[in-house]
Amino acid sequence: MNHYYITFRSVTFAQRGEQLLGRGGVRCSLQRTPRWMEEQGCGYALRVWTTDISQAVELLRKGKVPLRRVYLQKEDGQLEEQAV
Amino acid sequence: MIYLDNGATSFPKPLSVRRAVARAMARCANPGRGGYAAAMAAARQVYRCREAAGALFDCRPEQVVLTASCTHGLNIAIRTLVKPGGRVVVSGFEHNAVTRPLHALGAELQVAGQRLFDWTDTLEQFDKALRPGVDAAVFTHVSNVFGYILPVEQIGAMCRERGIPFILDAAQSAGTLPVKLETLGADFIAMPGHKGLLGPQGTGLLLCRAGAEPLLYGGTGSMSIAQTMPPELPERLEAGTLNVPGCAGLETGIRQVLSAGEQAIFRREHRLAMDCAGKLEKMGMQVYTGEHQAATVSFLPGMDCEEAAAMLAKQGIAVRAGLHCAPLAHESAGTLETGTVRVSFGWDNTSAQTEAFLSAATKFPRFRR
Repeated sequence: MNHYYITFRSVTFAQRGEQLLGRGGVRCSLQRTPRWMEEQGCGYALRVWTTDISQAVELLRKGKVPLRRVYLQKEDGQLEEQAV
Repeated sequence: MIYLDNGATSFPKPLSVRRAVARAMARCANPGRGGYAAAMAAARQVYRCREAAGALFDCRPEQVVLTASCTHGLNIAIRTLVKPGGRVVVSGFEHNAVTRPLHALGAELQVAGQRLFDWTDTLEQFDKALRPGVDAAVFTHVSNVFGYILPVEQIGAMCRERGIPFILDAAQSAGTLPVKLETLGADFIAMPGHKGLLGPQGTGLLLCRAGAEPLLYGGTGSMSIAQTMPPELPERLEAGTLNVPGCAGLETGIRQVLSAGEQAIFRREHRLAMDCAGKLEKMGMQVYTGEHQAATVSFLPGMDCEEAAAMLAKQGIAVRAGLHCAPLAHESAGTLETGTVRVSFGWDNTSAQTEAFLSAATKFPRFRR
């Protein structure tokens, strides 16, 4: 199970994303975006636990929820941006 | 008190709505700003309100913009679609919430359809008016003065066929008549949260099919470094702290409407209104009633309208008198000089209350038994 962050521009989209992923069986939780992840300032992110991040991203795209970025949290705790 | 002024606001609010407001005030901080529990509880409350509205009005949560009133939403929509000096088609039954923002923009108004309860005339007049060069159409679903239900599906279809954007004022219909953003194809639908949706005063909704221009600029809790408003709805139109207790009450009110069903609510209120209109006519009063009428009835009491309303108030009956912020509607109906007395029925009115009102009306000097 990998651990990801998906960032959004708005809390509303993050919330709809949370709902879509939850309904799709993807475990996630809503939180503030860590400051360094969002160069434009405040935002909200979903912490996602999954083996298949592409499935989560596809669920969001099908639901017309625009996302900002996806980060993978590696075993050493470092975060790495993922191409989606 | 017998409350027959539901066209102004529904009153009293259901107990569940009042409880929801109180609960939110105890549990919710600022939504979309912090990550701690009370801020997240507020964000979830706001989202639930959007979801409930989306379920009732056939749209996605992000298309639901929370406003302070129907007027607020109409101002956003009008400022988005109408340029200064633009050409706009309106119905003959618009509220000042529509005509004043248009006047402030110096818009050139074409009034279409001034005959009460006459769909044929209304549609013919809109057909004539919706011509190339028109920037937008703005029309009410239900006249706040006379309860006239306009043929908005047909007018909307005309607008879509001709590529003219349009705004629906659902102030008197949301919660009792079908209002569906996608089906109607409106660019914007504005409504209050505190009338047919049973929420608290100070709440409203603007349903948006696409983007819009902000009326207010400020903090949204997102993209804080940018000095422009975020491009996405709903935050683009929601600068400043939202009315979270209002959202909680509004969500509860909307869920009550979803549970009871708009049709059932309408049938009940309409039956009371038509019974009242018929009995007022039998008493000899001039009553404005006809086909395509909602649960609002205007009449002339044979004396000054405000004095008649004051007489009723003394007997514990609350009605509205005067021009009801809609001089255009009175001009259309020929009642601009006199105004009218308006009775408007709501979710918890009863036949007994109607009878009490009618009994009180028999004390008007001309109709004294």
